[in-house]
Amino acid sequence: MATRTIDPITTEIVRSAFTAAADEMNATLIRSAYTPIIYEMKDCSVALLSADHRVLGQSAGLPIFLGNLEVCTQLTEERFGRDAWQPGDVWLMNDSYLTGTHLNDMTVFGPIFHAGELAGFAACRAHWLDVGAKDPGGAMDSTDIWQDGIRIAPIKVAEGGVQRDDVTQLLGLNSRFSYPAMGDLGAQIACVRTGQSRLEAIIGRFGTETLELAREEIFAQTERFERAAIAAIPDGTYQAEGCIDGDGVGSGPCWVRVRVVVDGERMTIDLTDSDDMQRGPVNCGEAQAISACRVAYKLLVNPDNPPDGGAFRALDVDVRPGSLLAAQEPAPCQWYFTPLGLLIDLVVKALAEVMPEQAAGASYGDSMVIALSGMDQRGPAAAPWLLYEPTVGGWGAWDSSDGQDGLINNVNGSLKDMAIEVLETKYPVRLVHYGFRTDSGGPGRYRGGTGVIRRYVVEADSAELSLWFERSVTPAWGLLGGADATPPDVIVNPGGDDERHYLKASRVPLKRGDVVQTMTGGGGGYGDPREREVEAVRLDVLDGYVSEAAAREVYGWDGTT
Amino acid sequence: MSRYRVAMDIGGTFTDAVAYDEETGTYVAGKSSTTPQDLTDGVFGALGTVVDDPADVSFSVHGTTQGLNAFLQRRGVRVVLLATSGAGDVLHIARGNRTRLYDIHFRKPTPLVPRRDIVEIEGRLNAAGEEIAALDEAAIRAAARRARDEGAGGIAIAFLFAYLNPAHELRAAEIVAEEAPDLAISLSHQVAREWREYERTSSTVLDAYVAPIVKRYLGRLTGEMAARGLAVPMHVMQSNGGIVSAQAAAQQTLQTLLSGPVGGTMGGVALSRITGRPNLICVDMGGTSFDVSLVVDGKPDVSTEAELEGFPLLMPVVNIHTVGAGGGSLAYEEGGGLRVGPQSAGADPGPACYGRGGTEPTVTDANVVLGRVDPSWFAGGQMTLDVDAAKAAVAGLGDTLGLGTLELADGICAVANAKMAQAIRTLTVEKGIAPSDFALVAFGGAGPMHAAFLAAELEIPETIVPRFPGAFSAWGMLETEIRKDFARSFVQTLPTLDSAGLADALEAQEAEAYAALADEGIDRATGRVEHHVDLRYIGQEYTLTIPVLSADEPRGDTFTADLQARFDTTHAARFGHANPGAPIEFVAARSTGLGDKGRIEPTALDSDAGAEYPTERKEVVFGGAPVQATIVRRDDLPVGVSIDGPAVVVESTATTVVPPGQRLTVDPFGALVLQTDPRS
Repeated sequence: MATRTIDPITTEIVRSAFTAAADEMNATLIRSAYTPIIYEMKDCSVALLSADHRVLGQSAGLPIFLGNLEVCTQLTEERFGRDAWQPGDVWLMNDSYLTGTHLNDMTVFGPIFHAGELAGFAACRAHWLDVGAKDPGGAMDSTDIWQDGIRIAPIKVAEGGVQRDDVTQLLGLNSRFSYPAMGDLGAQIACVRTGQSRLEAIIGRFGTETLELAREEIFAQTERFERAAIAAIPDGTYQAEGCIDGDGVGSGPCWVRVRVVVDGERMTIDLTDSDDMQRGPVNCGEAQAISACRVAYKLLVNPDNPPDGGAFRALDVDVRPGSLLAAQEPAPCQWYFTPLGLLIDLVVKALAEVMPEQAAGASYGDSMVIALSGMDQRGPAAAPWLLYEPTVGGWGAWDSSDGQDGLINNVNGSLKDMAIEVLETKYPVRLVHYGFRTDSGGPGRYRGGTGVIRRYVVEADSAELSLWFERSVTPAWGLLGGADATPPDVIVNPGGDDERHYLKASRVPLKRGDVVQTMTGGGGGYGDPREREVEAVRLDVLDGYVSEAAAREVYGWDGTT
Repeated sequence: MSRYRVAMDIGGTFTDAVAYDEETGTYVAGKSSTTPQDLTDGVFGALGTVVDDPADVSFSVHGTTQGLNAFLQRRGVRVVLLATSGAGDVLHIARGNRTRLYDIHFRKPTPLVPRRDIVEIEGRLNAAGEEIAALDEAAIRAAARRARDEGAGGIAIAFLFAYLNPAHELRAAEIVAEEAPDLAISLSHQVAREWREYERTSSTVLDAYVAPIVKRYLGRLTGEMAARGLAVPMHVMQSNGGIVSAQAAAQQTLQTLLSGPVGGTMGGVALSRITGRPNLICVDMGGTSFDVSLVVDGKPDVSTEAELEGFPLLMPVVNIHTVGAGGGSLAYEEGGGLRVGPQSAGADPGPACYGRGGTEPTVTDANVVLGRVDPSWFAGGQMTLDVDAAKAAVAGLGDTLGLGTLELADGICAVANAKMAQAIRTLTVEKGIAPSDFALVAFGGAGPMHAAFLAAELEIPETIVPRFPGAFSAWGMLETEIRKDFARSFVQTLPTLDSAGLADALEAQEAEAYAALADEGIDRATGRVEHHVDLRYIGQEYTLTIPVLSADEPRGDTFTADLQARFDTTHAARFGHANPGAPIEFVAARSTGLGDKGRIEPTALDSDAGAEYPTERKEVVFGGAPVQATIVRRDDLPVGVSIDGPAVVVESTATTVVPPGQRLTVDPFGALVLQTDPRS
């Protein structure tokens, strides 16, 4: 029997049709979502999957959501059987141990049928503002998964094209902000429907047989491309380790250990030596640890192509069930991404010696969240307020450039900081300083980026402060002779009699006039600082990124030009 | 005697001119090479191809790239930025977001002002616009002296909350003017009276960076035009889809920055009006670019802010989406598969057929191989294409992929068309509209070559190739109104709205707008002012711009209910859902002055469908195989005739391809209208 083949032109048109379908699903989700966390922070991802759970097209809002939506359809099928898939049904799940991420992330998916046959799936994941955790939005000090919110195994949220009232109400009743949650659920269902209609249109245009051939060829191309990229990395075993400061409820540091084995065209990332799962909310499910490894792999191996079912075939990830990277009941997972930001940087560090051009010094590492809340008395009626924001910091330098100053962390994707004018208009807080933190970047031939200082003054009678600042024990490291960066710090009332330092805190009481000064870390340097060009050092001093004292001491600057 | 209405539009390669003869009711188009050293040479060259004596010009409009070039080549003036104490790094932090997710080597755009040239000034307003710290005048004086002594060309002043209360910025400007009278000054509340300090500061810095250069250019151009006999004021195309006098443009230089491709969209607006088609997708494809814009309900799709190489600009702009690289998109092999774009051959070396050393095949090369481009008539005969080089480039990739040259050339175009169509579809989906409700307008040198294929992919029933597709942007400028935009932050909620305060604000802006129109020679009888407010549900980040029917509408009893309904309806259309009754927040109040300087209403020509016209037959490749196609020169085509594909229509600035199964008709305005042949 002759082997059927497909021409490269049709293959490429099909490939871009799959990618475009995913982009269209993403556009539908983002334009229909109710909450800024989805449409502004892009805390979401979508995928179009084949009937055998392989990625045809994917569009990720957050980098960390790379390639784990197929896990959800696969698990559902394992539990309920292939016959469970029925036209018009839409499913939902959020269990951390299955999906890998925190309970706020709702994964919604549905089967796609063509001519009565199961033809694929459309799936999306989006962060809901509140899922009934012990604290609004999510807790910083939960000690079991039930404190993180409602936990849902795969369940049908629509049947035969009709949304189920009972399940919808169950979801609504378990959110403090049920109105936007229901809106976001609607947006996710609309996204799944878009995926369904796009895949049906693609099948209608090309036919099942052509699509199958195209798909296999697309996957083969991606796999070939990635295998060639891995083959170019010298074989060997490469290791790195680092720690997060703690689990948020008093234990720490918690170690993440990475062993990367490159063997010909295969790469294995072994995480089994990482610490056991923790009592506090810094654990993640296995699926999300694999996702983070894929992000690191993608950074180094195939950054430009959209991922498909052929991607990551050359990558194996080993995790140890019961570790903080493959958590089990009852470990809480609210801050699942804190060890993952570190993990991504560690994979890059492990491979830096053999991929010096693709590598970079470490970044400042985590979201660095400040939350200020209280009652706002400025208007005619007192109203509750909550200012909740991640903070930018320094990124690592690489072999041809200084690191970036004041950039959002890897895990937060494309998040923008809050404008001072918006912040002061919305909240009884004044932001009196927002600027770079001199000398915080790791020195190097190429300097690590600097962190920032943000100074808030409370303008309400009382307020509460919560903090999630990280990576003081393992601040951003340098590479190839580059030095480590300065770690983060938070000071309440700096210079006052009651000056206090924090990194993590829950609900610290503040009064009017109190000052909170957050300081994020810098990025790691690259290469020996003594080799930095004199002119670059001089300009750093002139621009205030580096103090004159540090320029003399670390860079050996003689103060002249 | 003055009888010509003339538009001159500077492009990357050519400067186009279009003239309308008011006596005969006919158009003529011409072009001249763009002269980067001194753009005015190209402008006069182009003008000379359509009008003998500038004294005969009755109306003139100009689209310039002077400011954009200064920015793109980073040849603006040195700018010193005065910022509020504690917020000087805002320009460099640039909101800290990343636009490439899988790139640990991501870099923000390098700001136009280094940190050492940013001076923080004491003096602070609060969120109500009240002074809570006095302005440090001595520090401003010192900074101005330093800027003067060090030879800076401009000072940008951007203080926190200046959009609420400009007193500090105005006082600072006075001091700078005293100390350094020659320095150009840009004030943030004048450039963009809206909140968000990074975006406002970035806009102000960009204004300061290019303003002296644009002013000098406009001064030189108008002076020279007058010396050559031009007796009427020159007008300049703006990014917002309107024109203003050159004099006014020199005060609002930022508005000239993104005006280049906007003429095309405004041409689309004019076509929409003339031919009665409300919704158009405008596709402008050049040798190395592919821009898409929309006309919805007869109006250009204008947004309230834009981005230029990663720098935000707070100003109204016609949305132009750059998608891929057009004809310059490279085809290459990866993992054993074919890829087309996003990598581009750029303008240099450009496609292989340019004969400048390019060896990798591009979409343009594929078109040449397919016989869809007349190699001797490219760009109106100003460039002869190297067909053999194109064939060699395509054949080389064909060997790698195991495909024949014709098959691959057809495939490269098919892949490029599929990707461009998908990009257009995603754009429309984001706006909640379906492409099948639109007609496609194709222009630029390469647009008409691909348009019919794009339309088929998008299930768009009609494709229109206007007259002078290579100079459509210039034609569009002739059809554009005077436009003046005014905006200010207006942060209130609908339930507690100070209606009189909103009416006061709109009435004040309306007065400003009428005064600005009067400066353009437009009185209250011919001018009009439209009002809008930016609204959102409380808690949202994105806003929708919603019309207010008149400046005093807020004084009416039903205003809040009416506005809520208007917002809910628009929200449902745009985002697919609404939340009727949920509290709404105001963010900005906008007023736009518009006035007609006597646009042309082209008259429909009588059908001459029976007339003879010369045709040739030639082999052109469709579906991977050569077929006999009809070749005609556009200038020979009588109004009303129809031609069945396969056919190629050749003219001096573009080539229109009519694939098999489509039928072309020349409409009463001279445009080519392509439709799927009902018989096929």
